[in-house]
Amino acid sequence: MMSDPLPPAFPAPGAEQCAQLETEAAKPVVAVCHVTVSFDGPPVLEDISFTVAPGETRILLGPAGVGKSVLLKAINRLVRAERGKVLLFGEDITSMPEEGLFPLRARTGMVFQEGALFDSLTVRDNVGYQLLQDAGIPEEEIDRRVREALSFVGLAETFSMFPSSLSGGMRRRVAIARALIAQPELLLYDSPTGGLDPVTSTTIIELIVKERDVHATPSLLVTHRLQDAFTLCTHRFDLDQGAMVPLPKGQVAPKTTFLMLEEGRLIFDGSIHELLRSKNAFVREFLE
Amino acid sequence: MAQNAIDRAAKELVLTVQDYTLFASSALLNLFRPPIYWTDFLLQSDIIGVGSMTIVLLSGFFTGGVLALQSSATLAAFGATAVTGQFVSLTMIRELGPVLTGVMVSGRNASSMASELGSMVVTEQIDAMRALGVDPLRKLVTPRIFSSIVMLLLLTIVADACGILGGGAVTVWMNHLNGPQYFHMAYQQLHYADIVQGMIKPLLFGYILSSIGCFYGMRTTGGTQGVGRSTITAVVVASVLIIFVDFLVTHVLLALLS
Repeated sequence: MMSDPLPPAFPAPGAEQCAQLETEAAKPVVAVCHVTVSFDGPPVLEDISFTVAPGETRILLGPAGVGKSVLLKAINRLVRAERGKVLLFGEDITSMPEEGLFPLRARTGMVFQEGALFDSLTVRDNVGYQLLQDAGIPEEEIDRRVREALSFVGLAETFSMFPSSLSGGMRRRVAIARALIAQPELLLYDSPTGGLDPVTSTTIIELIVKERDVHATPSLLVTHRLQDAFTLCTHRFDLDQGAMVPLPKGQVAPKTTFLMLEEGRLIFDGSIHELLRSKNAFVREFLE
Repeated sequence: MAQNAIDRAAKELVLTVQDYTLFASSALLNLFRPPIYWTDFLLQSDIIGVGSMTIVLLSGFFTGGVLALQSSATLAAFGATAVTGQFVSLTMIRELGPVLTGVMVSGRNASSMASELGSMVVTEQIDAMRALGVDPLRKLVTPRIFSSIVMLLLLTIVADACGILGGGAVTVWMNHLNGPQYFHMAYQQLHYADIVQGMIKPLLFGYILSSIGCFYGMRTTGGTQGVGRSTITAVVVASVLIIFVDFLVTHVLLALLS
């Protein structure tokens, strides 16, 4: 973790560390090394470097339009990095042919900003989409796993419904169920609470906390809502109560850390305590 | 200023042609590499083939009728109304059947492909599919291309038959000529080369209309307005390309088969 004030060229992980990551036995799930992305113009992301370790939850903060969603999409190469390197599950995906990416993407669950559910398919077919592509899985098994995933997000009753008949919050929860059904090794959440009311947002955050604490799936969550980020950091999922409960005062989830973007550059990488103590003007402004 | 604009437009055109070539060729090559989504192929065949049946039946029938009406008036001047059947059948099988079916199906299906895929792009459904480890080219594009090729061939046969029937109806009931003679001439003067020509064209047109529809759909940008733009471009490009390719293929096939 780095300390403030941050130097202009972000050092974690550095070029040497990036090279090391490829040879280390215990590799991070994601390693982003000096990545730059641009679309016919000035860079949207510039020289971004960070890692996601096994079991770690990283919260990517920043106001709208700083490139958070683009960064998330660069991790499973839905967007191609112009410069730099992205290692996903230890494999360099920067120049990998599209064919080779599909097996890696199948190991990753992604929740899109608006859910991105297939509107012509039922909730059952949406959630079971990945399983339905595999002819070897019997229909009964798919139904069972879809019901299980829908129960996890508290929407078992929507099994035969179409996305158009669901509310915004329900669609996000179905999208989470779709991302979880194949037991991914990495979860990418793109503003999962964006545009939702506070009660529904808390429900979504509770699901993310539940997934983090029950399955310890490493994840990267994009949000501009500080309240959601702090809730993630200061709560845990209690299996006995079946609900999210606050951690004792002064304690935070140890493996939940923060990243912050400002106009395409990573300006913070650290724990909640480091974030709160940061002297960076942009961080301070964002927090206040 | 104007030179820059021309330069930019020319580069954009070359890039589009390059992108389309790569897109269309990889979608076609996917036909020979697993996984092949047979269920999607059947579903698309139903949408494209069965769904277009009515417009193909009606347009084929009335085109044949118009051909008979127009040709008999001209042929009567030479005392050759007896060859109306030959004229209608040859024109329908060699030219109008494939082209008319191609353009009609393009209007119906290239537009629907472009708008459907375009909507999926703007609502991130295509990205979601890729993120789930499914190749949209294989899952969405290849079945549409394969179905269009097969279905357009069958629809063209239907259009040809309807056109000849339409010509026959006009010949008998409006021109008051001999029906058996019409059908006899329509059949007798038909050669193997005419059938080959009429059957090769729909294969190419099916490929063109579906690959263009999917190509413009998949590169949609700019929200719902962008979907509308993609749909219009797909129909216009597919229709013009069908007629242009028809000209080239006719020229080549006439040289090869004569």
